[in-house]
Amino acid sequence: MQIKYDTGPFYDEAFDKQGTPRPHYQNFIERLDELTEAEFNRKREAIDLSFLQQGITFTVYGNQESTERIFPFDMIPRIIPKTEWDHLALGLEQRLKALNLFLNDVYHEQKIIKDGVVPAEVLNSSKHFRKEIMGLDVPRDIYIHICGTDLIRDDDGQYLVLEDNGRCPSGVSYMIENRQAMKRAFPRFFPKAGVRAVLDYPEKLLSALQYIAPNGKRNPTVAVLTPGVYNSAYFEHCFLARQMGVEIVEGRDLMVDSDDCVYMRTTEGLKQVDVLYRRIDDDFIDPEVFRKDSLLGVPGLVRAYKKGNLGLANALGTGVADDKVMYCFVPDMIKYYLGEDAILPNVETWLPYRKADLDYVLENADKLVIKAANEAGGYGMLIGPHATKKEVEEFKAKVKAAPREFIAQTPISLSRHPTYCDEGFGGRHIDLRPYIICGEKTRIIPGGLTRVALKKGSLVVNSSQGGGSKDTWVLNADS
Amino acid sequence: MLCRVADSLFWMARYIERAENTVRLVDVTLQTLLESEHSNDEVHYAHWKPILSSLGDLALFETLYSEKSNTEIPEFLIFNRENPSSVISCISAARENARMIRDQISSEMWEVINRTYLWLKKQDPEAVCQEADYSFFQHIKEFSQLFQGLVDTTFPHQIGFEFVKIGANIERADKTCRILDAKHYMLQQTEVKDDALDNAQWTAILRGCSAHEAYRRVFVADIEGDNVREFLLRSRDFPRSVLYCLTRVQLAMHAISKCPTSHFSNEAERRLGQLIAKLNYANPSDLNGKEVGKLIESIEEDLGEIAVEISKRYMFSEIVDPAEEADQTQTSTASA
Repeated sequence: MQIKYDTGPFYDEAFDKQGTPRPHYQNFIERLDELTEAEFNRKREAIDLSFLQQGITFTVYGNQESTERIFPFDMIPRIIPKTEWDHLALGLEQRLKALNLFLNDVYHEQKIIKDGVVPAEVLNSSKHFRKEIMGLDVPRDIYIHICGTDLIRDDDGQYLVLEDNGRCPSGVSYMIENRQAMKRAFPRFFPKAGVRAVLDYPEKLLSALQYIAPNGKRNPTVAVLTPGVYNSAYFEHCFLARQMGVEIVEGRDLMVDSDDCVYMRTTEGLKQVDVLYRRIDDDFIDPEVFRKDSLLGVPGLVRAYKKGNLGLANALGTGVADDKVMYCFVPDMIKYYLGEDAILPNVETWLPYRKADLDYVLENADKLVIKAANEAGGYGMLIGPHATKKEVEEFKAKVKAAPREFIAQTPISLSRHPTYCDEGFGGRHIDLRPYIICGEKTRIIPGGLTRVALKKGSLVVNSSQGGGSKDTWVLNADS
Repeated sequence: MLCRVADSLFWMARYIERAENTVRLVDVTLQTLLESEHSNDEVHYAHWKPILSSLGDLALFETLYSEKSNTEIPEFLIFNRENPSSVISCISAARENARMIRDQISSEMWEVINRTYLWLKKQDPEAVCQEADYSFFQHIKEFSQLFQGLVDTTFPHQIGFEFVKIGANIERADKTCRILDAKHYMLQQTEVKDDALDNAQWTAILRGCSAHEAYRRVFVADIEGDNVREFLLRSRDFPRSVLYCLTRVQLAMHAISKCPTSHFSNEAERRLGQLIAKLNYANPSDLNGKEVGKLIESIEEDLGEIAVEISKRYMFSEIVDPAEEADQTQTSTASA
């Protein structure tokens, strides 16, 4: 099968402006040439069916009855050559290091505020700033143990950081399942392609979790804390628990006893839990401290955490670094804590809480992307150039009413990637979410989740809004 | 093992067993009606009514349906989501339970449940019910058998396995009682004793328990009510007899508690031991005639109470309203 389409004004991952395949795509494109369309479709259908039967699905909300769908998978892998990846890895490590230093600082001395690098008003108005843990020393001073930074590329192919996702980044199970699917689909080609392994992610995660056990306890009991079967990422929570060989628990499986330790209810009685990989937001995790009406959390959990009887990953309060307004200050944090320039730049961003930025944003709303500062998953977002006049006006009103709750960015036209669609191969916009684990060492998983906007021309890659995904190949070499 | 996991294993197994038994009943009844000479809706309904009563579903059916034809009843028992014990409700509930513990069960177990659920959703209720689609019933029965086979061959024979056995065998014992109950309702309906009809009914009951051939091997003579009851209640080796199922539950419970079967270590074990003794040592006259109805009723009650005791002992968890909980899980999705 031949891939041929107009690459247009965009940066295409696989082809240069003349339409010649880039060297690191050469091998795969040759393999694809050998396949007939029927063979290609057979492989594709086999993958879809196995995803559906294994129940690798996510839940879509909003309809009356929430429905399960498979995350559409595209068989053309996104390929990253060695040099390019090494650069990304350095940038990601630098960024996470600065974020962890920042979190430690804002929950202790707040030097960065006192030195005027991050404005106090931004910190104090951040929804996810948790005063409850001021002064608390978290195990090993690590706050973000698992990070899923979103990266995009602009027209020139330059990588930019879109957001940091330092709370509970999801999608890593798709990274692993996509890889398994590709290995099954191309059993002879894959071993020769020189692709770096990602399948050891669960082991790396487990060792990072064990590393934060209270008092350095050996062989600690680790568990994954999930909001439950109705959560959209439930499949992933189970998947990780199973791969790590640990229990998956819901809030109702846990209790905090009078000794301020956390226990799970088992058929043999109570059993102590030392470390939780929690996939529940701060707000819901402990009704004694945060939302009183939460049925998902565990009363007393924060008490146990503060007493040092529990390791939590990610730590409480990391959302303050995840705030899209705070995001703007990350390059300044890197400079402040590490004395370095940011290796990976941010997207140009305006902060309407500043009067001058607000005026600019209101005037140019139809040319900008406006996002809610604390929403995720592509909800609460305006893409100015694609919106109707009415939508733009409605959004402007929202921004005016609560400027701190929004940010605005220049639309980046995201790089495109060959993707198999209804009309054959076409270029579709993509992003990249690599995963970083911070334990005894910081490990950047060589790969990640490449999300693709399957709808022609669309820039929204979120699974909830018609996005799909691809396997991401990081090569041992440059071609 | 987490209490919640034990609970889900128990219910997953129970729902699958329930779906299989319902399909068996519908299948046998439809087959029997095919043979009957007078086929009109009234005759058919008279035939279905005892089955609906024994399942405890008669009132719900009569409120949901105005027509009572040969299509509506199977539709109600198989495809109606408002009927919590319809086959689709059971398989969907089994799947929800399996989904909650999919990290604990083998992927083969999960996949066969998931596949069957997706398949069932695609079926056309009207076609299945009007045509009395044999291959449909066979599919569900084979699913249940495949599932049980996978439990045996892919799931570690540890404590979780025992909870699966408990769930399946409590349900099976209960359903065998209810099928016998159905015959009891049939008896009340006919005023004059009709030997041919009686014989056909007992045959249907045996087939409803997959017990026809096994019975024949033990009792060569005519099919007789007393013998069928004896067989379905007290056979020591037929896997769907009530006594057999109860003994299997007892084995599983004592494997969990590690207490010898000659003693008991909790209320569930005590009640079960008592029930087994009651059935095992029942006076032959209690197994036929008027007394048997009382005996079967008391077994059903005991089974319900034993299930409660098991859940008190092993699965204690606070009752959470699933609807309210679902509401929160949606809003608490972290950075997606």
